[in-house]
Order: sequence, then structure tokens, then C-alpha cells
Amino acid sequence: MKERIGVYICHCGGNISDYVDVERVRQAVENDRGVVLAKTTVFACSDSNQNDMVDDIKKHNLDGVIVASCSPKLHLATFRSVTERGDLNKYTYVHTNIREQASWAHSDDKIGATEKAILLVKAAIAKSRYAEPLYPNQFEAEKTIAVIGAGISGMKAAVSLSDKNTSVILIEKENKVGGHTATWGPLAMSDEKGSDLSHRIYSDLLQRDNVTVLTGSEVISSKGSIGNFTLKVRKRAQQAGDPVETMEFNVGSVVVATGFDPYLPKAGEFGFSSYENVITLPDFKHLIDSFSGKYLEYRGKRINRIAYIYCVGSRQVDGENRYCSRYCCTSVIHAAIQAKKKFKEIYNFHFNRGIRTYGKQELLYAESLQQGDIYLQSFEDAPPQVYAENGKTKVKIKDVLTKEKELEIEADLVVLVTGMVPRADNSIGTMFKLPKGRDKFFNEVHMKLRPVETVIDGITIAGTCQGPKNIVESVNSALSAAAKSYSYISKGMLETEPIVAEVNTDLCAWCGKCAEACPFDAIGQKDVNGKQVAVINNSVCKGCGMCAPVCPPDAINLINYSSEEIMSMIEQLAGG
Amino acid sequence: MNEEREVLNYDALVVGGGIAGGEAALNLANTGYKVLLVEKDRSLGGKMILLSKVFPTLDCSACITTPKVSEIARHKNITIFTESEVTAIVKKSENNFTAQITKKPRYVRVEDCTACQLCEKACPVSVRDEYQFGLIGRKAAFIPFSIANPKAAAIDIENCTLCGACEKVCPTHCIDFTMETKYYELHAKTVVLATGFNLFDPLLIPRYGYGQYKNVITSMQMEREIAPTRPFNTILRPGDGKVPDRIAYVLCTGSRDATVGNPICSQICCMYSIKQAQLLMGALPMADVTIYYINIRSFGKGFEEFYQQAKGMGVNFVKGKIGKIAEKENGDLILRYEDINEGVVREAEHDMVVLSVGVKSNPTVGKIFGRGELKLDPFNFVAQEDLLGSPSKTSIDGVFVAGTASAPMDIPDSILSAGSASSEAISYLIQHQEL
Amino acid sequence: MKKNAKILVFSTEKISDPAIDMAGLLKLHYPPTVYTITVPCSSGIKPSWILHAYEKGFDGVFIAADGSDCVFGESCTEKTGNVVSITHDKMKGTGIDPARLRMAAICSVCSESFVKQIRSFNDYLIKTLHA
Repeated sequence: MKERIGVYICHCGGNISDYVDVERVRQAVENDRGVVLAKTTVFACSDSNQNDMVDDIKKHNLDGVIVASCSPKLHLATFRSVTERGDLNKYTYVHTNIREQASWAHSDDKIGATEKAILLVKAAIAKSRYAEPLYPNQFEAEKTIAVIGAGISGMKAAVSLSDKNTSVILIEKENKVGGHTATWGPLAMSDEKGSDLSHRIYSDLLQRDNVTVLTGSEVISSKGSIGNFTLKVRKRAQQAGDPVETMEFNVGSVVVATGFDPYLPKAGEFGFSSYENVITLPDFKHLIDSFSGKYLEYRGKRINRIAYIYCVGSRQVDGENRYCSRYCCTSVIHAAIQAKKKFKEIYNFHFNRGIRTYGKQELLYAESLQQGDIYLQSFEDAPPQVYAENGKTKVKIKDVLTKEKELEIEADLVVLVTGMVPRADNSIGTMFKLPKGRDKFFNEVHMKLRPVETVIDGITIAGTCQGPKNIVESVNSALSAAAKSYSYISKGMLETEPIVAEVNTDLCAWCGKCAEACPFDAIGQKDVNGKQVAVINNSVCKGCGMCAPVCPPDAINLINYSSEEIMSMIEQLAGG
Repeated sequence: MNEEREVLNYDALVVGGGIAGGEAALNLANTGYKVLLVEKDRSLGGKMILLSKVFPTLDCSACITTPKVSEIARHKNITIFTESEVTAIVKKSENNFTAQITKKPRYVRVEDCTACQLCEKACPVSVRDEYQFGLIGRKAAFIPFSIANPKAAAIDIENCTLCGACEKVCPTHCIDFTMETKYYELHAKTVVLATGFNLFDPLLIPRYGYGQYKNVITSMQMEREIAPTRPFNTILRPGDGKVPDRIAYVLCTGSRDATVGNPICSQICCMYSIKQAQLLMGALPMADVTIYYINIRSFGKGFEEFYQQAKGMGVNFVKGKIGKIAEKENGDLILRYEDINEGVVREAEHDMVVLSVGVKSNPTVGKIFGRGELKLDPFNFVAQEDLLGSPSKTSIDGVFVAGTASAPMDIPDSILSAGSASSEAISYLIQHQEL
Repeated sequence: MKKNAKILVFSTEKISDPAIDMAGLLKLHYPPTVYTITVPCSSGIKPSWILHAYEKGFDGVFIAADGSDCVFGESCTEKTGNVVSITHDKMKGTGIDPARLRMAAICSVCSESFVKQIRSFNDYLIKTLHA
């Protein structure tokens, strides 16, 4: 039992103290049993407060520390390490969230928010009394890393890991590497061909002994966790009659780089599949890259006037995709410039919703304006319409520049500027249980603090599977993910969380229900003084607690979540 | 120059201690490399540490920056030089760089200073506080700002009258006017450039009246007014201390504007203005906030949703280019603008105008290397030689670029770029390991 | 008349607690008498804890379950369901309205759904216990 607990209540520079009366919280808990010190602080996470905490731990001989501040997802690790610097075991630290779950959630009710914060801190004190030192198990991490998806992101991650003398298994579902990029001609911002870019990265990969590239292969199952994943990979038969190969790899970490799908318009969406001269941006790019001739032709017809309709599948007012796909404005403007340079008598009409050529990409927009492209911007709630009249395809728009007047343009070709959507095939996401964001792309732990990590330890995300990106951004994210995955395995030893199940052998009368409930086969049977009892394999136990509720004599508890702890917290939250 | 130079040896030199340099230094240090982090200012944290909250999550900026900065400051593999400049870097051979570093005196022994602020109270000299972007003054003996790292006093020797008042009151006797500039020669195996960006100077657009009309401020000044460590306890207009209730934002101030030599888009101004507008709506529920824009560029993860949220909250978005700003006698401002949706020239009255100033390159980075060695782009950003294949590689093998030193970028992109640069630097170090 | 019922929420570290955090971030308000205890997985909640909450004065208990997103495997849904049904039986046995225990799967970004669920639960509890 802790007898010397220090409590710190954070203002968060107003984020908490604007709604929660932090001084009242302090006064409400300072005389609680075991509390020897209760302080408020403007920023608990600041260096000066961290130093004060270390000094306090030593000066007041604290045996437990509590910080009431933001979500533990942000700073649990920060304060655990402060506790360690004060020579306390980091598991004696207890965190409580009075920002996301008090001041912000109840910013409409300052008294209610303060009352709640008081009880949350009291419950944390109750939990702190039970927080005993724990010691993680150490184990050796597998030195190989798997990269799933061999588009530009996946290949760059593999190159980067290989450079760090790490063995890589690069697994690609398709029979070819390079993803979408390998199919493109000249790319925006460098004019290098996508196929060339892909080829030079792939050639670089092929020269390396420590990279295994598996095309036509899929990961069909994954077992284990950080430091020790076992992936089962199935390689499709390359020719009829070949056997299907199934392989197993042990890897320490996985970089997921499964990319995006281009948005496929619905039938009838801006005339798609109703009129044969309505095509998507990828189709258009392939057309101008592959077609040679003085004049551009599509399906045997000469193309002079091209209408580009922006934000198809992105920034939907009614649909599900609320987000901006960020690459398409630049990509289509670049393509339109290419078309005009390559073919005679091309007239470009851009039906946009505000051009987003951010950063240096703005120069492309300026170039396009200079070459005479026409830009027409629609109102957000009134998208342009595509229709046919007398055998001609026309686009109608209420332009923001001309307000009430409707403009109508005849087009030989209508290009739907389609955005990025998450992969329809979510098998990898489902397999690793990767959470998704509001946009349905894989979600990082924290956009700024841990941008390539997922809540699944050991799994990082690279490129467009995390959200729309252009190639530069994808490569930056891939190299970051590679460095992060490398950091997991580079030290050789990893620690397991010591939060595992514990059996009270006095109460246990071995019935096997716990072993049945355990999804990890971590529970066995053992003879203790002539009695059969359950025994937990600590290196296999993941600390889910599924075994605890099914035990008839209530002989199993999860460390840190024992019935005593939870019930004492409940008592505090109920109001003491 | 013949100063004595102390010789230092590190694996990596990181130039710039903002969020990108800090991230890169941490990644290198966590992999086991010894890093020297050189920052020209008195504190780590760059521009981010001075921000209020960050888009699109509205996390407080300090909550992300200060623990990160504190982790850097405490890391056993990182040595930090503040108030220091890298004056020259020469590549002798692969894996072998020599850098000249000048460390200016702080006139305070940081390790002994307790940040008690007694020197601040004693100092008779008041000057413009650059960390509050001139909204208030500070003393010549001062703590840069409340969450600075290191949190220690400094003497602004340019403005100091050497009266000795601070020395007399200092309880730990940590003020030392005998400190001198120190010169170092560093041997490092790789270099990461994270020299950041400069804000556009709105004095270059006289028709907006910045510097002339007191109630025309920059977005960075507004950032300080709404930050947790803000100078006033509320939002005031500088002219008369009135709480404003009609606030205007002028987007693209100094961006997408060839007439001021900056035709590119700064990438961050739309979003930080929308963020400030949301925060203002929260702080001043009765205020009207209008954003004058050309295009809203909310392109990142969660950005478009954030923009829509601002519209839902009642922030006024007007598509229009500002021609001219004029001041009324009472300090209110008249904005003359072309309303693009209506196709007419209009005037609107506001009591405070915020200029959403853009991102400019920091040209000092080019001068560190020998003539022409480090290639810059036409805007003096560090050129990315293999933009699509290896965005953090520069024209010099073994020198990598992180964050806004190469282009305008928001914080998430800067952090990914720093991750990329440090990843390349680690690869470079491993590939050139002496066996 | 009371406006807010006292509700204990069991959330899970990696899935539903982030959603509850995001509700705060987005300032989606719900009654401040809703308190959260976070556990690794919803299938590890013991019926005795839930019963203890009623005994100590909570009006309702809400399990913000992992559902099929659970990082510990598919069996979570079924096992959490078992915890609920066993608890329901025990509640009936002691004369507690079983509707005072609710469960819903809350994904890591299901902030709006969390707040909606909590508000409707709150309305139910106020109507049945405090009207």
C-alpha cells in the first residue's frame, strides 16, 4: 500500500483550468489518505515541472505519483519516465485524464467538470495505493522486417531498411512492383516518368542481398506481437500447374504500405458510364502518355476541348468522403499542361472547387493559367452538371465569378478528377486490427507525436494507406516508418508489458475455464503441493484479462486491474 | 580568425532546434548516435513552441512541444548549443565533415540559474519582446518566455546598460559579464539541416498599413494573443486595448504574389487562420470573424473537415482579394476588396485585421557551405536533388534536409520530413561505418 | 428533478477510450456525471465490478466494448456478451432493472455514437429512476 503519494494537477495552460477549478481539485484531494503532496502546475509536461517532480519524489520520499492532465495516450510515457528518473519503478505512476474527459468534454458545465475532475483524481489515488513495482520480461527481437506492399512507399521503406543492414521481406499482392506510380508517365514537380522512378528504385532493391521480394504474394495470417510476428505468406501459382507456395516468416516489425484505390465514380455520376467520353483522371493520364500523334484522339474521335471536373469522390457534401485527396489538383493541372504541350489544339476547362496547388506546386497552376487554361469555380452546394444535347457532351456550371449566370461548355472529353479512397481490400487491416480514422484510412497514434505508429505495437504505416499523399509525402512517410520499425529491433532486446494475469493458487481448483477463454494459449496446468492449479506463461500472456471473469472461484486477476483496485476506484467515483 | 577553437567530435550535426531539427536529433540519438544540436536562438522549440494550439486537432502546441524539447534536452546522446551559429561546413571526404561553430555568451550560467526572475524585476531597461512579437516589452535581463528550454535568464547585451542591478539581486550569482564568445571546430560524420523558415515581412506591402495602423497585426502576433502563455489575459487590439468584435483575416499576405517575389503558396496560412478563427469564436463568443481568401487550401488529413467545422461555427468566409486597408479615426479599419462571388468592389469595416503572413526561406543556410556547393531552389529553399525518390537528400551526399528548410510545410509534414532526413542520415552512417 | 444520471463507463485502452477522448476534443458534450474506468479489453470486465457500482450508487453502467476491432482477437465480442448476460441474470436475481446495464461496440473514432448512446442511456435512467 502506498503511503506517500504525490499528486500533480495540470492547468494545461488554460485547456484544463479554463473549465476546471484546479485549485479546488487540489484542495479536495490534498488530505486524502496517503497523499503527502498535492500541487497544481501550469504545464505538467514542461521540463521545469518534470524536474520539480523528480526533486519532489526524492525530497518527500514519495512512493507513488499521479498526474491529472491530458489523455494518457499523449503523456503516460512522459510521466512514467519522470517517475523513473526519481528512482521509482515506472509502474507506480498513475495517470488520470481530466482534459479530454473532463474540461473539454464538459466545457459547457464548469461546476460539473470540476466535480468530475475531483472524483477522477480520487479514483486515481485509490488506484495508486495498489500500484506496485513491476518488472518487464526481456526477450530477443527478430531482426527481419516485413514490408507489405511494393508501391513506391513500400519499396523505399525496404531500401531504407536494407541500408540499415536489416533483412527485409517485401510482399506484393500484384505480380508487379511499383503500384500505381509504375503505370504513370511524366510526374508533376520533376517530370520524371513514374515508370522510370519505380524502375530505378526497384533496380536498387534488386542489388541487395538482404531483401527478398515476393510478388503475387499475400500475407494470409499473422501471429505474435512486436519483436516476434509470424507471418504466413501465400504465393500464387505463376503458371498454370505450378503449386501454390505457402511460406512462413518470423519478423520483428511490419511496415504496412498497402496504398490506396482510385475513386471509381458511380454510374451516372457526372455522366460516368452514361457517356463514353467521360473518363477518370487515371484513364486520362494513361491516354495522354500512350497516345502518339499530332492530335489527341479518344475512341477514334479527335479531342480538342477537355473539361476537367474536380473533387470527384472527394470533399463530398452528401457522400461519405468528406476529406480532400490533396494530390489531384496538382496532378490534373500537370496532366492538362502535358496534353497541351504534346497535342495540337487542346483547350482546357477546369471545373474546380478552389484550386489547391499548395507550396511550390502553385507554379504549375500559374503555368497553366499562363498557357490559357480556363478555370471555372462552382459553388460548394451546386456542382457542375454533365449532360448530352444533340449528340454533344456539355458541362454546365454556375461559376462563382459570374454569380447568377450559368455557363455551358461543350467538351470532346470530360475528365473526372478522381481522388484517393482507402483500399477496398482491407484484409491486412483486419488481420492486424489496425484502427481507421474518420476518413477510413489507417490511423496513426498521434499526427504529430507518433505519426507512423499504430496502436498495434510493432506495426507502422507508410504512404497513402494512412491518407492521401503525393509521392514526396509518401516517401517521407515511408522513410519515417522504416526508421521507426528499425528502432524496434535495432537494440536487440525488447520488453514485454508486465501487465499479465495472476492466479491465486489458494482459490484455484483447476477447472480449465480460464485456459479455454485465453486466446493466446498462455494458461497451463501445474501441480502445486499436490493440487492442480492454473499457471500463466508470462511471456505469452498479452494482458487482455479474458480469463478473469470466467473463473468460478474468482481466483484470477489482471495485474493493475485487480478486483480490489477497480472496486476501490468505483467507490471513489461513486462519491466516497 | 585565429581564435582558439575547441575541437568536438560527434556522429551527427543537426543545424536548427525547432520541431524538425529536434525530431531528427531524437531519432538519431535514440538509435545510439551522438548528436550536436545547434540552435541560434535562446531556446529550443523554434516557432512551434510559440504557437497557441495546432490544427486540425486543437491540441495545445506547448503540450506537444515542451515534452519533446525536454526529452531532447535530457537525452544522453544529445548535446545542445543554444545562441550558437554554424558559420561554415566543409566536407573533407565521405563521412567526414568539419564545421565551425560560434557560441555567443548568454552572460548567465544556465546550470546555476533558477529562473527566479529577480534579475528581470531589477533590470531598468525595457525593450521590444521579440518572443511576444512586439506586443509587449521585456527587460534586458530576462527569461525568454515561460516555457523556454533552457528555462534560464539571459542578458540581451545589445540593450544592456551594464548597470549591474541584475548581478546584485541574483541569489545564485549566476550572472557573469566576463563570459566571452566561444569558437568550436566540430568533426561530424553527417549533417541534418533544419534551419526552418522566416515569416514574410508585411512592411513590404504598404497598402495593408502594417506598422502604420496599430490594429493591423500579423498572424504570429494573434497566435501569441491566444496562446496559453499569452501576454494579456484576453484578446485585445493593440491600438487602444479594446476587445475586438469584428476581426478580419487577410489570407495570402506575401504568398502567391509575384509582386513581392513570392509566387508560391505557403501551405499553412489557410489552416492556421481557420484555427485562430475557431479559437477566437471560443474566446469571444460575440465576435464576428471574417476570412478573406483566394482559395481555401485545407488539403491534409482532417483539414477539410476542420474547415467545414469552422463554417458550421459561423466563421465568415469571403472570396475576395484585399486591395487596400485604411484607418478610421477611432482606429477601426476599412478593407477595400474585390468580392469575387459578387463580382463587385466592396468595403467592409473591421476593428482588427490579422495579416496571414506567409512562409519565406531562411537564406542563411546557403551561406554555411562553400560557394555553390549546397544547391538552393529559386526561392532560396534547400534544393531537393531527387525530389520524388529521396526528398531529404541535398546536393551534398551526407547532408540531409528536414522540415521547412526545403519548402513550406505544416507541422505533421515537417515531422515526417524530419523522420525521413534522420532515416537517411542513419542509413548513411551505417553504410559508411568504419569497419 | 435530477438532470444527470450517474453512469460508470468501462472503456478499453486502445479502442473505445480514444473515441471518448475524441468526443472531448470535438467538444461533444455529455453529462459530467459519466465516469470512465479504462481496461485493456471489455471481455475482462467482471460482473462483480458492475454489481458493485450499483451497490455504491451508480444509476447505470455502460460497457464501451471493443467489438470486432478488439486487438486481442475475435472472441472478444462473444465473451463481452457473456459477461453482460451473466450480469443481467444476477441483476434480475437481486431486483435491479437489467436495462441499467448497457453495452455497445464503440470503435476508436465512434465519438458521436458514444455521445448519442450515453445521452439516450442518461434519458432512460432519469426517466426510470429519478422521474
